Amino acid sequence: MWNYYDHEHLVGTHFKLYNRARVLAERDNWSLVLRSKRMPFLPFYTSGIGFQYMDGNTMKSFHKDSIGFMLEMEALFKDLPNDRCSVTVTYRINTHPFFKLFEPLFKRLFKRWFWATWEEDAPMRLRRWKVHQLGFKDFSGVDYINRKLPRPENLDPGKYLFNPPVRSSSPIKTVDGIERPFDHSTELGYTDR
Amino acid sequence: MAAESQPITVMEQGREATYRFLATLAELKKSGQLTRWIDDHDILLYEFEGQIKALSNICRHFGGPVGYHKHKDGVFTCLWHNWRFSCKDGSCLSHTGLPLRQYTLKVVDDKIYVDLLG
Repeated sequence: MWNYYDHEHLVGTHFKLYNRARVLAERDNWSLVLRSKRMPFLPFYTSGIGFQYMDGNTMKSFHKDSIGFMLEMEALFKDLPNDRCSVTVTYRINTHPFFKLFEPLFKRLFKRWFWATWEEDAPMRLRRWKVHQLGFKDFSGVDYINRKLPRPENLDPGKYLFNPPVRSSSPIKTVDGIERPFDHSTELGYTDR
Repeated sequence: MAAESQPITVMEQGREATYRFLATLAELKKSGQLTRWIDDHDILLYEFEGQIKALSNICRHFGGPVGYHKHKDGVFTCLWHNWRFSCKDGSCLSHTGLPLRQYTLKVVDDKIYVDLLG
């Protein structure tokens, strides 16, 4: 869930897709966000407003685009044994009747988009868990590594606690919002095990 | 990745320092930057202004990979939320007071070793 409520990562992790984000309003179980993105595999950008909220273990999200699409998404989170979980996501896209003609094409394009964002997020989620296991604290780091000390014998990272909204120190919650700093880079990738 | 080399142990500043194999010079030369985990340490190894340096690759913001992008204009930009760090010394340009930890290196026979506690 952290990943979905971390709006700042849109212009970081998804820097090729999103170029601007601004949190318009949020509370602990909902948020209203303005996002600007490149259309899936098409050479232009659109902006849109997204609203998301928690309904028990399900997150519901509605994103209305400036060119008339509305994306509805439901993500069902289930805890599993052994530090695992399942996430079941259902997408529904509403369009102007004119676009009905292009339904098969849109289905393909959006499917590729969803997979692209999922694949960009997956290593982020796994790494977030990995550093939590090392005792990582937000806005601080791994204390014994920063202090050049050996790993404590009784290291206990504790339960992963998630209390939205996600803390931010960027202008994402101001009228300026945040923009991605570059379009392209030389990517060396993740080397997490 | 090159075959593991044996650690090097030396007395330094009154303590027994153990240097673990990190990479070969040839590996570093390929792109001038690489990251590698040793035990709990995610290490960002790179060349900058003719020097070989190493920093923690764990962003102090949310733990993202600082060395995902190749550094540009002397700055690393973390992939996740674009926090920026100086290649010179790991100082954080986004939020002062949250620098990346620096590691001490030793180069022996074209192999780069790192002191995890140094």
